[in-house]
Amino acid sequence: MAKVAIDINGRLFQEEVPERMLLVDFIRERAHLTGTHIGCTYEGVCGACTVHLDGEAVKSCMLLAAQADEHKITTVEGLAPDGELTPLQEAFKSEHGLQCGFCTAGILMNMTDFLKRYPNPSEQEIKKGLIGNLCRCTGYVHIINAVRKVVQENQLRKT
Amino acid sequence: MYPAPIEQYSRPSTLEELYSLLDSNEEDILVLAGGQSAMQAVKSRMLRPAHIIDLQALSELKFVTSEKGLLTVGAMTRYVDIVSSDSIPLELIALKDAASRVGDRQVRNRGTIGGSLCWNYSAACTPVTVLALDGAMNLISPDGSTRQVAADDFFLGPLETARNEFEILLSVDFKLRGSKSGSAYKKWGLVTDALPVIGIAACLHFDNTDCCDYARITLTGLSGAQRCLEAEASLLSTTANTEEIAEAMMIVCSKIPTYTDSMATADYRYQLIKTIGLEVIEIAKKRAFGLG
Ligand SMILES: Cc1cc2nc3c(=O)[nH]c(=O)nc-3n(C[C@H](O)[C@H](O)[C@H](O)COP(=O)(O)OP(=O)(O)OC[C@H]3O[C@@H](n4cnc5c(N)ncnc54)[C@H](O)[C@@H]3O)c2cc1C
Ligand code: FES
Ligand code: FES
Repeated sequence: MAKVAIDINGRLFQEEVPERMLLVDFIRERAHLTGTHIGCTYEGVCGACTVHLDGEAVKSCMLLAAQADEHKITTVEGLAPDGELTPLQEAFKSEHGLQCGFCTAGILMNMTDFLKRYPNPSEQEIKKGLIGNLCRCTGYVHIINAVRKVVQENQLRKT
Repeated sequence: MYPAPIEQYSRPSTLEELYSLLDSNEEDILVLAGGQSAMQAVKSRMLRPAHIIDLQALSELKFVTSEKGLLTVGAMTRYVDIVSSDSIPLELIALKDAASRVGDRQVRNRGTIGGSLCWNYSAACTPVTVLALDGAMNLISPDGSTRQVAADDFFLGPLETARNEFEILLSVDFKLRGSKSGSAYKKWGLVTDALPVIGIAACLHFDNTDCCDYARITLTGLSGAQRCLEAEASLLSTTANTEEIAEAMMIVCSKIPTYTDSMATADYRYQLIKTIGLEVIEIAKKRAFGLG
């Protein structure tokens, strides 16, 4: 067993875990934060499990929980801790950026990091940024529109 | 999917600590870099390591430096760091072509150049690019002895390298060839930025009469990273115009067998080699002359 201390959304989880436990399972089963989803088996291709590790989007199924020891994790629950949605979450709502919602947490986490790094992306760049997240419902158009809406709002605010 | 039981997880923060961990007579050790290939193998239980040694805290393996005609990239440098590095000179920009198109941004936030080179997947972007750029791997054994292995001798075939079991890749060196050098990498896969069905890298140098006096053309997707020696030779002493490049790619197709599978037919693979090869070599040439 490995002792870990993982900060998830500002709360410290100190637990003993089997070395083989994946970070995504720690988040779901130990921290009971089930917004982070599991959508594939061993490949790490779907992106539903995307969280922030020290502020950067990563797939939490491709990490052991032990690897996150002494690191900071943010999950979708950490985006709006006081219940006030972020502009990206609002845009997903108003632009119908989701249907079943299975992929949504991962996409929100990836795009939150993406927009921090690229505040004014082109549509092409947004599409490229989304490659690591599969969505089986929306056809992506509404997701891209939601991200573009946030970009446009930010630009308007600047001018 | 759940990995098979793992007995120990270690995260050395210095190379000395790492060597002492490797020095034990333990079997089934797995060194973990970004985990973007290794964790697939661990989760699918293709690998069942008893002890995982995580390199993430070894900050001394995360760097890109360029001095005295040599670019050195630390093994733990991530794709995202390569893409954003200001230290990579224009003539080695193929490294950025490759790193910026690996998988997706989550993979690039974790995956490292060293992990990709040591894994040497049959269709990966980094080995083929490092082979074209004539990189040299700096390896160290737990007893402290070091050696340098040229890319030509390092990649032995899909998933095989000249690295000994407990050797650690520290960094990769690239010699700079100076003005009129250019490089490029491009791939085609079934979906955007996927593992390549065919990927081609090229590195060219032109002399002061604008004739090509150095050419390395490499191919991946068929059976790991491989040189296209006859095609390289055919470009020497030419100006590498479109016809000459097309001829070089015809030579590649006549020498290398392709095959049909669910991703592409053998003929389609030949078409990809010709099309991507022409594009890549033309881009490398343009870059050599400061035009691209
Ligand atoms: C969804 C997805 C898409 C991908 N798409 C692409 C793609 O388009 N193109 C592409 O090229 N690759 C792709 N990959 C693979 C990716 O490039 C991996 O990151 C890379 O192959 C491995 O690097 P890593 O740092 O993750 O190494 P790890 O997976 O941690 O390690 C790989 C191997 O190298 C060994 N190792 C690592 N570092 C060292 C070292 N310093 N010394 C000695 N041994 C070491 C490990 O023991 C292990 O055996 C993809 C992966 C995923 C999950
Ligand atoms: S569960 Fe699919 S990428 Fe992690
Ligand atoms: S909304 Fe259903 S998978 Fe994306």
